[in-house]
Amino acid sequence: MKNQKNAPKGLGALLNKNDTIIAILLTLIIAFLWFETTKFEKVPALFSNNIPPEMFPQILLIIILGMVLIIPFEHIFLKRNGKNIDSSRKTRVANSTIGTMMILSIIIASSQILGAALTIIAVSILLPIYWGERRLKVLIPYVVGFPLFVIVLFNIILGVHFEPGLLDLIKS
Amino acid sequence: MEDIVKGIGLLLEFQNILLILSGVLIGVLVGALPGLSSPMAIALLIPFTISLDPVAAIAMMAALYCAGTFGGSITAILINAPGAPPAVATALDGYPMAKNGEPGRALGLAAVSSVFGGVFSLIVFIFAAPLLAKLALEFGPAEYFGLAVFALSMLASMSGKSSLRNLISGLVGVLIGTIGIHLTTGVERFTFDIPDLEEGIHFVPVLIGLFAVSELFKQSEKLNAVVERIQAKALRLPSLLELKKLKYTILRSSGIGTFIGILPAEGSTVAAIIGYNEARRWSKEKDKFGKGSPEGIVGPEAANNAAAGGAMVPTLALGIPGSGSTALILAALIMHGFRPGPYLISETPEFVYAIFGAMLIANLGFLFIGLVGAKFFSLVAFIPKKLLWPAVFIFSMIGSYSFASSMFDVWVMLAAGLVGYFMDRHGFSAAPLVMGLILGKLVEESFSQSMIIHDNNFFALLESPVVLLFFVLTFLSLSSPFWTKFFSKK
Repeated sequence: MKNQKNAPKGLGALLNKNDTIIAILLTLIIAFLWFETTKFEKVPALFSNNIPPEMFPQILLIIILGMVLIIPFEHIFLKRNGKNIDSSRKTRVANSTIGTMMILSIIIASSQILGAALTIIAVSILLPIYWGERRLKVLIPYVVGFPLFVIVLFNIILGVHFEPGLLDLIKS
Repeated sequence: MEDIVKGIGLLLEFQNILLILSGVLIGVLVGALPGLSSPMAIALLIPFTISLDPVAAIAMMAALYCAGTFGGSITAILINAPGAPPAVATALDGYPMAKNGEPGRALGLAAVSSVFGGVFSLIVFIFAAPLLAKLALEFGPAEYFGLAVFALSMLASMSGKSSLRNLISGLVGVLIGTIGIHLTTGVERFTFDIPDLEEGIHFVPVLIGLFAVSELFKQSEKLNAVVERIQAKALRLPSLLELKKLKYTILRSSGIGTFIGILPAEGSTVAAIIGYNEARRWSKEKDKFGKGSPEGIVGPEAANNAAAGGAMVPTLALGIPGSGSTALILAALIMHGFRPGPYLISETPEFVYAIFGAMLIANLGFLFIGLVGAKFFSLVAFIPKKLLWPAVFIFSMIGSYSFASSMFDVWVMLAAGLVGYFMDRHGFSAAPLVMGLILGKLVEESFSQSMIIHDNNFFALLESPVVLLFFVLTFLSLSSPFWTKFFSKK
């Protein structure tokens, strides 16, 4: 009963809040990309066979925009088919996921300084520890063995070039 | 016949057989690990197989693709956690049968029906692909444009929550494909003065990011999930009498799976669910479904493996991917310098037959591996996620970097992973985006060429009956939610 009282009415019932935000964001991105297409270098019609380079992306942007505008109302049709679009996003993004995203971004950002070998070691140490792995008898063999395996396989056997990074500095 | 012999000859090199068997092993392993999937493994494999001979590289991926579908059923049966989405329906009866004390029987039924489904679809593939390619050789740019539009419309019915969002994802993929220098005019598009973007966004880091890194973020939410495992000592093959009882279910599901696989964008998961539903509908023992019915296992298993073979038909004959995994195989073909489509079959038929042979070996290979290694593969699901996913990330980084020795690609991979994670959270699937990305060039090229041929008169395209047919099919595909509802009410 209480839920019914609090249920949104009018336009609020028609629009899904999360999807409205997504639609606004996507519309802004589409507007920006459309603006970008207007800045493409102009080519004479003869040279472009009357198909200017911005034509195809602009057609795509218009079609995508048309679809994006339906998104806020889509939950109504989905509900009729027994689907709940909010089921996968009813909980907020877990702290562990945000932390993981940040750690990986930092590792990639510093990988040019660290070099490939140290980056691999950093991932092998930081992620398991951040995720709560504390068993040393598992961690130590993993941290030593896995990077060694990867370096031998890719760098020595398959010949993938690994940037030396900090190791080069230490050597010299 | 000569081409078939040549194709088999290409495969019979020791290195190629070894790579196919490695593909099978990786496929079963990846399939058995919840969270890891065949598309992810193929995406990770692409950069490392670029230096290989194309036959070996594509054969290995095709073998991985076939085996990955079966691998998912091992954990579906033993721990009720489908290793891959196509095994979802298998868990419905496989797990109850295993719980009833017959895990070996459940695995045996899954393996034999998978092999049957796979071989059935390969027989269809060997006949249908050349026929379809012959037909497609008559296609001009307008017909190709019609076909590509139809393939894009089929993305709507790909698995996922929302058809609309699948379509948006697909079109965003096509849009991403326009980044870089426009081939006809040489004009830079969406490069934002970043030199790395001039040659466009590379497939590999996007694929790895969308399939592997985004899954890593998803898994980081459920690191401590506990699963209960049922002990399986060995896989037990079904008796001839049991197979006789199930032959119609297996045959029906193989047909359904192959047909669904051939449809652009329809994958093994849809085939498995329809295979399960049809097995139930035709069964004389409907009440046993959900409690360990053998028909409930062979129905989806034959269908999902048959779909894997079926999906290769449009991929190789038309250059239109039949599923997420085949979209990646298509990307690999392009990277190896091939032009997927009818010319592939008409100019290098032996190559196509070699892929057919690899898939046949894979089907027999995973039966053998399943027989001897079911116990081991059920154990791999217990590798701690906290150690498994850092390893996946390291492979992802190396894969993205090694493709063009570019750190920019590693950033693209991370960005694709973040985008993929948030897309999934909001109901947008990654597979349609990948298919759009791969189809993008074909859509734009065929559109531009048709417009030039027809003096920019779009309606002139409809003069071709084939284009008209594809547009009617596109309309039917997009309006299917409405008319299927209308007919189901009647």
